[in-house]
Amino acid sequence: MSASEINTSANEIKYLSEFYHLPEFKTLEGYKKNGGYIQLPKALKMQPQEIIDLVKASGLRGRGGAGFATGMKWGFLPKNNEPRYLLCNADEGEPGTFKDRMMMEKAPHQLVEGMIISGFAIGSKKSYIYVRGEYSDSINALEVAIAEAYKAGFLGRNILGSGFDHDMDVYRGAGAYICGEETGMISSLEGLKGQPKLKPPFPAIQGYLKKPTIVNNVETLAAVKYILRDGAAGYRKYGTEKSAGTKLFSLSGNIVKPGNYEVPLGFSLKDMIYGLGGGTKPGKKLKAVIPGGSSAPVLTADEAERANLDYENLAQMGTMLGSGAIIVIDDSKCMVECLANLMHFYHHESCGQCTPCREGTGWLDKITTSILAGRGRLSDIELLLKVADNMKGKTICALSDAAALPVLSFVSKFRDEFEFYVREGKSKVKGVVYKTPSYQSDHSKLGAH
Amino acid sequence: MFQLSNDAKQKVLTELTRYESKQSAVLPALYIGQKENNGHITPEVICELSKVMEIPESQINEVFTFYTMYNKSSIGKNHIQVCRTLSCMLNGSTELTEHICNELHVKMGETTKDGNFTVTEAECLGSCGTAPMMQISKQDGSSKYYENLTNESAMNILRGLK
Amino acid sequence: MSEIITENKTEKKMLNCKINGVALFVKEGSTIIQAMYENQQKIAHYCWHPGLSIAGVCRLCMVEVTGNPRLQIACNTQVIEGMDINNTSAKVIEATKWGLDFHLINHPLDCPVCDQAGECGLQDQYMEFGQYNSEMAEPKTKKHKVVDLGPTVVLDSERCILCSRCVRFTDEVSKTNELGIFNRGDHAEIGTHAGKKLDNKYSLNTVDICPVGALTSKDFRFRQRAWYLKDAETICNGCSTGCSTKVYFNKEGLFRVKPKHNAAVNGYWMCDEGRNTYKFVNKESRLLKSYQFKNNSWGFESMAGAATRNLINIFKTAKADEMALVLTGQQTVEEYEAIVSFFADHLKSKNIFHWNNNESTVNDFDGLLIRGDKNPNTKGLLQVLSKHQISTKWTDLENQLASGKIKNLVVVGPENISVYNDLELKLNLFSKAEHLIYLSSASLPQWENIKTLKYVTVIPLKTYIEKSGTFINYAGLAQKFNKVTTVVSEALTVSEFAQLAKGEELKIEYVVSENLMTSEHQRADQVVLEHRKKNEFVFNRGQF
Repeated sequence: MSASEINTSANEIKYLSEFYHLPEFKTLEGYKKNGGYIQLPKALKMQPQEIIDLVKASGLRGRGGAGFATGMKWGFLPKNNEPRYLLCNADEGEPGTFKDRMMMEKAPHQLVEGMIISGFAIGSKKSYIYVRGEYSDSINALEVAIAEAYKAGFLGRNILGSGFDHDMDVYRGAGAYICGEETGMISSLEGLKGQPKLKPPFPAIQGYLKKPTIVNNVETLAAVKYILRDGAAGYRKYGTEKSAGTKLFSLSGNIVKPGNYEVPLGFSLKDMIYGLGGGTKPGKKLKAVIPGGSSAPVLTADEAERANLDYENLAQMGTMLGSGAIIVIDDSKCMVECLANLMHFYHHESCGQCTPCREGTGWLDKITTSILAGRGRLSDIELLLKVADNMKGKTICALSDAAALPVLSFVSKFRDEFEFYVREGKSKVKGVVYKTPSYQSDHSKLGAH
Repeated sequence: MFQLSNDAKQKVLTELTRYESKQSAVLPALYIGQKENNGHITPEVICELSKVMEIPESQINEVFTFYTMYNKSSIGKNHIQVCRTLSCMLNGSTELTEHICNELHVKMGETTKDGNFTVTEAECLGSCGTAPMMQISKQDGSSKYYENLTNESAMNILRGLK
Repeated sequence: MSEIITENKTEKKMLNCKINGVALFVKEGSTIIQAMYENQQKIAHYCWHPGLSIAGVCRLCMVEVTGNPRLQIACNTQVIEGMDINNTSAKVIEATKWGLDFHLINHPLDCPVCDQAGECGLQDQYMEFGQYNSEMAEPKTKKHKVVDLGPTVVLDSERCILCSRCVRFTDEVSKTNELGIFNRGDHAEIGTHAGKKLDNKYSLNTVDICPVGALTSKDFRFRQRAWYLKDAETICNGCSTGCSTKVYFNKEGLFRVKPKHNAAVNGYWMCDEGRNTYKFVNKESRLLKSYQFKNNSWGFESMAGAATRNLINIFKTAKADEMALVLTGQQTVEEYEAIVSFFADHLKSKNIFHWNNNESTVNDFDGLLIRGDKNPNTKGLLQVLSKHQISTKWTDLENQLASGKIKNLVVVGPENISVYNDLELKLNLFSKAEHLIYLSSASLPQWENIKTLKYVTVIPLKTYIEKSGTFINYAGLAQKFNKVTTVVSEALTVSEFAQLAKGEELKIEYVVSENLMTSEHQRADQVVLEHRKKNEFVFNRGQF
């Protein structure tokens, strides 16, 4: 990558993350000093429907992975007097994603304010932030922030004299990727196993405790405040027509400068990797990029250098924006090993409710491990494709598809590596020698230890 | 016979009314029970929680066995979990885990003889940008991330925790 | 368009839809699988059960609905007006085959030792959609086998397909919450917590609803292969609820009882106690011949019919007020009518008494199915007694026996003796009569303990399995049941006894020759069941 090929004007736009560099932004005072809790009183003076329409007009899409139009989702709520809940999905579990953690640790009030405004818009009197159990710093930061907000009168009864009551609480998860699925999260919040529920009925009609529920990602809810501040047109200044606004991308893998970067949607992936990310390490070339978390189909280096980071472009290229977790793989790594690593992840995280996923993820894990250990058969490659193909579209939630898509994309785009491994019993990539780790005792032990 | 201390029992009873439904208190109650029992949950803990919360044992057990952060067997004073998922693997988590296990003379899932360290693997911990990394939890349930590790720095941290 | 059918006395709207090209009318609010089930259309499924909530986890009941490119599960999709549903297209068959494949990849090859063989959901669907070579070449996941879940059920976790029917049953029906699914992913297993037992009065229903051999009944385990059993419908005679049941039998006897769906009485379930009602029918517990106790010893073995005929003179010559009859609530209405009219009209004796074995618990009800009156036809008995204007008190019988007034006492003894805790006490009482004529289907070792026997004639009776008749349950619902099979052919029904005792000959049902070979006139154990015809080996044992 020569310097001339990188767009040096392609920089971060610190929209949500403007003040993350200030340690004081975490506190109520520091937050208020930097534009905090100014939009909340403004919102409380508006009509809730106005805010929903504003969010619709802004084109804000869910930042957790599905990319569903947020305003439209809010519009699905029934127009009756039933209590409704706002649930913030902070169960960031998609491999490669760590953007919400940054926001919760550095700017908890940003989320809290966004949630109070959203809660007001949808008429919810109670909201929960479901945080994955491992994020202890985030949980502490949020609990402190919520307590501060209560004390300052931003939460509780008759907020700022508007007549609007709202209570907010943090719920600690206990270690399950599946709780990032919206109905899985609802099940977990109900004190059950985090198993996704059948849809229909959809959460907006029957969610938490069978009441209308809206589940939104951390980043989505935080963005609501900025839409209020800048208006729909102001928010649309960034991004593309169908993918409006900015997004936090988590860059990781074989990259010189991993981290979270906020860029407008439509930003070139090439600029993200070589510009902001500093490119691959010296002597290493780019081989593959997973653009949207491990569940997104992988892109070859060529494809990656042509891609733009927005929902439409990536969908056109056969992959997806997902959670915005960009995992960079260079040519010193073996794709078979990468796939086996992901298959083990999905096998570990499948909730076990429906048969194709429960048995299929286990099967895929066993096949890829066999290939990795040099025991693969030539027919295994076709078998991987067949199994993955038949796991798609048949299950209660998308974890089955999330396990199947990497298989289909890795095998079809890097088939030579798989065929080499199966024929030769070792990796095609020079220097990669896989040996069963000596520290493995009982491979089949799952779950808690 | 395992029994919750009065303090812990109060905490559990508070949790029962904190959320919109009584059942929602199961996850927090299991954390409380785990802390009371030095970092792991036995069948007696579940029986006790079931009695206090008036929720069937099988339902609490379902939740207990489903989530990974509830420990089924006892852990040492420091529970080391090295993340093994893709971004960490691409940055050498396998070699790091191997190094730690060798230095501590344990296999995956085992506890050192002096009871100081238990080593297990974890799936994506949400710290991919600072890979490789590990999470160390104590028996009281508190935990901390240690990021951007090398073999050296990891062992230094562990030595400091003895 | 949708019409309101008022003739059904329901105001539910009916919708038009098409299932596999067949136009159907279904109730609004039904799911596709309910519509198919009610219209006898075949669809592969495991986790759905009409008596339980919807789980939607087996993912086998895939259907194609026009207008939706993605296959839907039939159990959670509601029928809408004009819906066109199809589960026979190639796409659906392929999806079902793969759904089945996923169920089988870790399933152990236990068929040779598994009770469920022959009636197994996996076997059935494999014959329908499978018949492929498995491509699973990796080691299968291992789980616990032969887990003692409780007094009635054994669990094999490897066979379990995690359909969650049993868990939903203990949550929703028995409401005892013993079972749960523990662990995540493909390490999930059914179980109870910390050795707690699956110990409720309805536990064996979980064995019925388990589509595979994961839950097996301790009582039935390893005793008989399902394909050597025939089944026939009858009514349970364990208590006054009168659940509809199916009994499974062959020439060796009866092997088990399962519930049959009856919306008016028992829904889809029955209790564990009722499942023991086959035990007192089998030859081992039966009185096979008639005996007499005379001159301090048992002997004078004879056939039931002959023994009855020997009593004709006694009945002819005895005085009406020296005769008495004791009845329990265990016989059919027709039998009561026969014997009560024999006594009341023919012998002109109104000394007919009702032996009530559970007065104190007769109105108990556990909220689900079990009632305190352990007799199926108490209401029937009371109905017949009142028809013949019989009203007597038990104390009258006791007094008359004590005073020696009763010379000939006919007792129609209970067949389900396990619920008659006062049996020995009553036998002591009855033997005070000069001549006790005791009719019983059960052989009673209790006679050994009665030291005051004088002159006793015991006559073998047929059980409820061996006769047709009517039971009237606690709610007054009259339920007719048909004969299933004959276990002790020499025994008599009470009606036959009454006829013979009158001096008449037994009527033999005359069947027109054209009807002789139709299924209605064939005994249940001689009918070839339709679904067995598929397997040509079943009735040609050893002859091919």
